[in-house]
Amino acid sequence: MRPVWALLLISPLCGFGQQAAASDDGANASCTLMGPQRERILEAGKYGRQPGRLTELTAGVMGRLGDVRTYIPGGSRTNSQLQLDQMGTIDRHIYGTLQAKGVTPAPRTNDYEFIRRVTLDLTGRIPLPERVTQFVADSRANKRELLVDELLAKPEWVDKWTMFYGDLFKNNSVNTNIRRDTEGVSAFHEWIANALRTGKPYSTMATELVSATGTNSYQQGELNFLVGSFQPQVPQQDTYDQTAADVARTFLGLGHMNCILCHNGRGHLDTLSLWGKSTTRAQGWGMASFFSRTAMPRTSINSDSFVPYYWSVGTSALLRNDYQLNTTTGNRPARQPIGTQTTVPPAYLFTGARPGPGEDYRTAFAREIVADPLFSKSAVNYVWEHFFGLALVTPSDGFDPARLDPDNPPADGWTLQPTNAALLRDLAADFVANKYDVKKLMRQIVTSSAYQMASRYEGAWDPNWEPLYARHFVRRLWGEEIHDALVQSSGVTPSYDLLRQYPGFSRTEAYAMRIPEPLSTPDRGGPVSRFLDSFLRGNRDDEERRNDGSISQALALMNDPLVLTRIRGTGNATSLLQRNLARSDEELVNTLFLTVLSRPATDSEKAAALAQLRTGTRTAQAEDLLWSLYNKVDFIFSY
Amino acid sequence: MNEEKLRRHLAKYPRVHATYSEAPFLSRRRFFEIAGAGVGGSYLAQPLLGESTSGAVTTKNTAKNVIFVLLTGAPSHVDTFDCKVGPSTPAALRAETVGGVLWPNGVLPGLGAHLGKMAIVRSMRAWALVHSLGQTWTQIGRNPAAALGDVSPNMGSVVASEKERDRTPSQVFPTFLALNANAAIGPGYFSATYAPFKVTPSTTGLPNTSNNDGKARSDARLRFLHTIDDPLRVLSPLGKAAEDYDKFYGSANGMMFNSAVDTAFRFTAADSVRYAGGGVANGFGNACLVAKQVLAANQGTRFIQINLGGWDMHNDIYGTGGAAVNIFTLGRMFDAGMSTLLADLDSTGLLKETLVVMVGEFGRTTGALTGSGGRDHYLQHFAVFAGAGVRGGRTIGATNASGSDTTSFGWKHDRYIRPEDVMATVYSAMGIDWTKQLPTPFGRTFEYVPDASDGIYAPIEELWG
Repeated sequence: MRPVWALLLISPLCGFGQQAAASDDGANASCTLMGPQRERILEAGKYGRQPGRLTELTAGVMGRLGDVRTYIPGGSRTNSQLQLDQMGTIDRHIYGTLQAKGVTPAPRTNDYEFIRRVTLDLTGRIPLPERVTQFVADSRANKRELLVDELLAKPEWVDKWTMFYGDLFKNNSVNTNIRRDTEGVSAFHEWIANALRTGKPYSTMATELVSATGTNSYQQGELNFLVGSFQPQVPQQDTYDQTAADVARTFLGLGHMNCILCHNGRGHLDTLSLWGKSTTRAQGWGMASFFSRTAMPRTSINSDSFVPYYWSVGTSALLRNDYQLNTTTGNRPARQPIGTQTTVPPAYLFTGARPGPGEDYRTAFAREIVADPLFSKSAVNYVWEHFFGLALVTPSDGFDPARLDPDNPPADGWTLQPTNAALLRDLAADFVANKYDVKKLMRQIVTSSAYQMASRYEGAWDPNWEPLYARHFVRRLWGEEIHDALVQSSGVTPSYDLLRQYPGFSRTEAYAMRIPEPLSTPDRGGPVSRFLDSFLRGNRDDEERRNDGSISQALALMNDPLVLTRIRGTGNATSLLQRNLARSDEELVNTLFLTVLSRPATDSEKAAALAQLRTGTRTAQAEDLLWSLYNKVDFIFSY
Repeated sequence: MNEEKLRRHLAKYPRVHATYSEAPFLSRRRFFEIAGAGVGGSYLAQPLLGESTSGAVTTKNTAKNVIFVLLTGAPSHVDTFDCKVGPSTPAALRAETVGGVLWPNGVLPGLGAHLGKMAIVRSMRAWALVHSLGQTWTQIGRNPAAALGDVSPNMGSVVASEKERDRTPSQVFPTFLALNANAAIGPGYFSATYAPFKVTPSTTGLPNTSNNDGKARSDARLRFLHTIDDPLRVLSPLGKAAEDYDKFYGSANGMMFNSAVDTAFRFTAADSVRYAGGGVANGFGNACLVAKQVLAANQGTRFIQINLGGWDMHNDIYGTGGAAVNIFTLGRMFDAGMSTLLADLDSTGLLKETLVVMVGEFGRTTGALTGSGGRDHYLQHFAVFAGAGVRGGRTIGATNASGSDTTSFGWKHDRYIRPEDVMATVYSAMGIDWTKQLPTPFGRTFEYVPDASDGIYAPIEELWG
């Protein structure tokens, strides 16, 4: 597994003070459709840009959008320590650090930028145009908080975060080792959605998933988490190991547990993890031993073939021994007695805690996991990573427990791992104090001034400021978000029949964020599935969701029927374009920009769009204008 | 350098790294400003094939192209290219002496006729027994869990970056193509231009390369798009990620309404069946077919990765218990595609300038089968090389009677051959200095092949005689 290197794949770092890179010249050679605008930009780049001044182009596009107020950023020399102390956790640490390092933060987002970004981040949708207009016109001082509360209450919030946690918990119908089938996926999907919808504390979610017991994974959603770790055709210890490793990765951010379960850290993790390099395989076995009484048998649903099947998960009376050191085969190196010790009892690695007398092992394990400081830290870190683009600990499944405490920094050339260790500590503490409420965490994040910084930066940008979060980092939208923005803005609603495969879903699903898993959905590997796959939604198994770009994506946005059927000016009276063709050119342009891009056109964009409409056949020209909006980079990026 | 020496070297230089958080953060743009000269400029031009010296090393420079076949899941070496007859070997394996080696005619019937083209390395040893780790290791030629492992490019991306300056404006295919290989590792921290272009071969060719509005209108609206969007695509305030899309759109447009694309990526049902050995058309055979067509088109593609998975036969490897995917079914599918590809490359003259590599991420247990009738993960394995002047009809290195360990390493470095060496071999064949080093945005050096400048890993020159 290659964890996502957020720093590179979300790279917003081009500031206004930088010179044109040499690579630009060669790259443009293949594009034969250079307009005069392009040449002017390259020409300007040759002589560099004046630091501290927005050029007309960039200011026109990004700067003069709606109400850009003069803003004294917090953390500059104009703020006192008292003012810092009165800020919330996030702002106190971010602006305090910026002040200490003498770095000026980016300005505040204007209202157009904010509503689009926060609506996408929280609900996976672009805002409706009328809501944008209303928001920008709203004069209440707390309108941003009110918008946030409105978004958190939407069913689309549940859809998006069910997708997010479905990725994290790896809910898929078939993985390398096992099947959950679509019934299992549906049950698990509904369990996650219900947990989010009803505000189930994240600690309770983790406890239920780790200690789940039941006889039918098709009906009991929470059984489907642990079965993903099952290792077929090898000794049971391989399953205990993988289950412990997957729980550690998911709920502690501790990906190195998987390494420890093959070998001691020494000689392998010496330069990767201060904690890991002195952790032993025997200690890993102590963790895996918490699963040594768990059986995960399967029951086939047909009499004549074993596949498909559903799972049971439970403590088995037949498993009478703790983790046994008696294997020579399987996927992990041999397990042999340590001296006279032939079994390893459960012992939580960080505390030494063991199950109480008669206590179910997995209940005890869940208890220890939730109490572990890594639990709240990794939970907030995963969420932070989505909103800020750069996790506090990267990679987000590579925590090094020995390098997190700002009051006890590591020695011997090791540094603190988080970008802001005090912030991580306090944000995690807030999460615990708020009873592991995921909605409250998100509210805390998006109402902070740090989150509301623009991705625009005034002045020369130094990439060394990235870990200071001195500006917002852009992100390319998920494939599901792009699809749903196309559907919502165009008014051309598809109808995906998910009911035939996924119990609990409908015949007329229209929005990709509602799809329960990324495997060949929603049309059994057909064109829509390929469209979504080209945006790299992953498979929740060995391919992570990624935000790399590709040629296939460009081909899809330019030519896929998903896009081309939505730009037509004829044949669908309710579509965005057809509904507005009769308006004046100016109104048409305004409506298209507001609906698709959630902002008005800049002066130069409007001039070009109007010229486009006034040449040739108006309907075809309008179609191509709408096509261009769907192919603009600011359609597929959140900034 | 032998095995003991390698161990001592690695122990002596454990490569203590600056940890991620203390390395300076640089944008990829800034990096390419620094390293741009190193990637394209300072390397000596080598327009003709033939051995060439860059001062530091002498590369083989016999290959214009590479086809890299990654056998994911880890094929059993003793049932394929390091054939051994043991207590469990079924008669159906038909192990017979062919071309001087014991050959599993029941598994690889077609490739037996191509032994004269292939040099089979039998002294390969993997570093790890975990699939994803091993597969990534093979593609990036270093430990994915070590520093820079996360951001190291696929060797195909390195080749693409090195061969960028050889592209002509009329060539429209990406330099690095991945067929049937959606899991191919990407370009790491290298530019997105060098990412593998991932295609699932289909009789209808590349999807979305045309539309009903036609070329003239598509050109016109792309021109218009640039008019309103170039401020966000060129020196973009949204950063390098958005600028990359400008490159993707340029490359994509080059492939639209282009008959060369159709010719290369489309194929007939008949050809598909031929690459399936007359059997059922399959994704691997189709990938081999398209690979040949793409190279024949000479449209800029120089490195093609093809994956074939399913080799992870822990259970019923010989299919006697009814396993649908077993060494015979998968082996024959691989054999059909591969032998047809070798034959076609040979008859078109492409083979002598195309290095073909076949390798998995590790091997499988030897001797008797496991309790579930299969073979489990094992470090000993093979690599096969053909084309680009490789002298075929030989094995390099030898193993003991069961195939469990190497008895003779078969090359001058007198130690196990590793994925790092395979990657060095690919670079050398392509005329690329495998000891090259580049600065990175992380404050540490990226080596094309780790420790290569110390001579720790090196190309397998014995392949060429």
